[in-house]
Amino acid sequence: MNEHISSAYDRDLEGITTLIMKMGGLVEEAILKAARSLADRDVELAESVRAGDKIIDTLEIQINEEAARTIALRAPVSKDLRSILTVLRLAASLERIGDYAKNIAKRTSVLVEMSPVSGSDAALRRMAREVEQMLKDTLDAYLRGDADLAEDVRQRDHEVDQMYNALFREFLTFMMEDPRNITACMHLHFMAKNIERMGDLTTNMAEQVIYQVTGEMPDEARPKGDKTAYVTDPG
Amino acid sequence: MEDMTHADRIMSTQHDSKISAKGVQVYYGDNHAIKDIDVEIDDKTVTAFIGPSGCGKSTFLRCINRMNDTIDVARVTGDIRIDGEDIYDPKVDPVQLRAKVGMVFQKPNPFPKSIYDNVAYGPKIHGLARNKADLDEIVEKSLRKAALWTEAKDRLESPGTGLSGGQQQRLCIARAIATAPEVLLMDEPCSALDPIATAQVEELIDELRQSFSVVIVTHSMQQAARVSQKTAFFHLGNLVEYDDTDKIFTNPQDPRTESYISGRIG
Repeated sequence: MNEHISSAYDRDLEGITTLIMKMGGLVEEAILKAARSLADRDVELAESVRAGDKIIDTLEIQINEEAARTIALRAPVSKDLRSILTVLRLAASLERIGDYAKNIAKRTSVLVEMSPVSGSDAALRRMAREVEQMLKDTLDAYLRGDADLAEDVRQRDHEVDQMYNALFREFLTFMMEDPRNITACMHLHFMAKNIERMGDLTTNMAEQVIYQVTGEMPDEARPKGDKTAYVTDPG
Repeated sequence: MEDMTHADRIMSTQHDSKISAKGVQVYYGDNHAIKDIDVEIDDKTVTAFIGPSGCGKSTFLRCINRMNDTIDVARVTGDIRIDGEDIYDPKVDPVQLRAKVGMVFQKPNPFPKSIYDNVAYGPKIHGLARNKADLDEIVEKSLRKAALWTEAKDRLESPGTGLSGGQQQRLCIARAIATAPEVLLMDEPCSALDPIATAQVEELIDELRQSFSVVIVTHSMQQAARVSQKTAFFHLGNLVEYDDTDKIFTNPQDPRTESYISGRIG
């Protein structure tokens, strides 16, 4: 893309991009740290995720303000307009993902008091890594204006959904086997659900990137994988 | 729809198009100012022509009421039709054509006459009024349509040049619509006006759309976005892109349009 005649306009847009990349980086880190704190039973690490969420929230406010200022002063059109609209949506999604990471960290502080449920920590960590990778690719796609990469992310949400389905059934089994597992499994299930929702939000972000690049929202169906709404037994 | 004849279908598709241009070329001496332009301009619609200085937008606008005839070195070829009628047909009287295709210019240019006479002038020379009462009615209607009646009704005999810039421009619009035109051409009608007068003229343009096909040349992209339903982007004598205004401003197809509207170095 060519430069604007007004170089200050370019600097404004670059400034907003820098903010969103910074926010994205912090959120990626929060996802990984939250999952690691559970696997390592590291309460301090979990605490740092909770504390770090404040910075993420502040960045969202800052991005909203910068975007509003740019709209008011520059009256962006076309790609510039789509870019600002995209940034606003990305910031809102990132903030939500940050909240989910914080929620995982909170539950970790509770879970460390209980005996671990076999294999679940590692499975959650795998799921979190997958979502973090999707998020990383979405941010790269945004930065490079790469609609193909964003489409690839969009298709990958299916895998996260399948991991969640498997975990859902697993937790159900553990709870039926021994009611003493219920408390831990309930927390773990919420964590899995949080990560699954992170995947959905990341998918929305990827769709927003496609809109930014092409000017059109993707409308073709993508594979939907969360089937737990229909589960009646762990089978 | 099934039993429509081919001719019926052509008629029905042509219905919405007020002005139809095909293969229009304009030369100023050796300078090829307009290059092979095809465009269909809708009735009851505001169409904006945008583009950098010297891109040919005003030149093309002036083809639509044959204003280029008044420039000796200008040569126009191709086909321009209004309601299917070739306006460059030798039988067409340019003066009559200009009554049908009104024009408003960049700088308000009222005649050095009274407000009343400014508006009455056109209808008088075209014999549109049978008597004084008719003429009075045309003047009032035109001034009302131009949103100037309330401000001007008590001073119809005072000189048009005594009005403020914005009022003068609305007087020129009243003068242009007094001959009951079908098309109204506006060449940067707000560039000499302050933001309030601009907003008033823009509001007026939106109302005029009910009765006319309005074509406006503007340097203000925001104005094009505000008042028009269709936008045509001209560049170096070419019509680069012509589409719905909201499409042009959210997702233009040509990179040259994108660069121009977003203020980029092309």
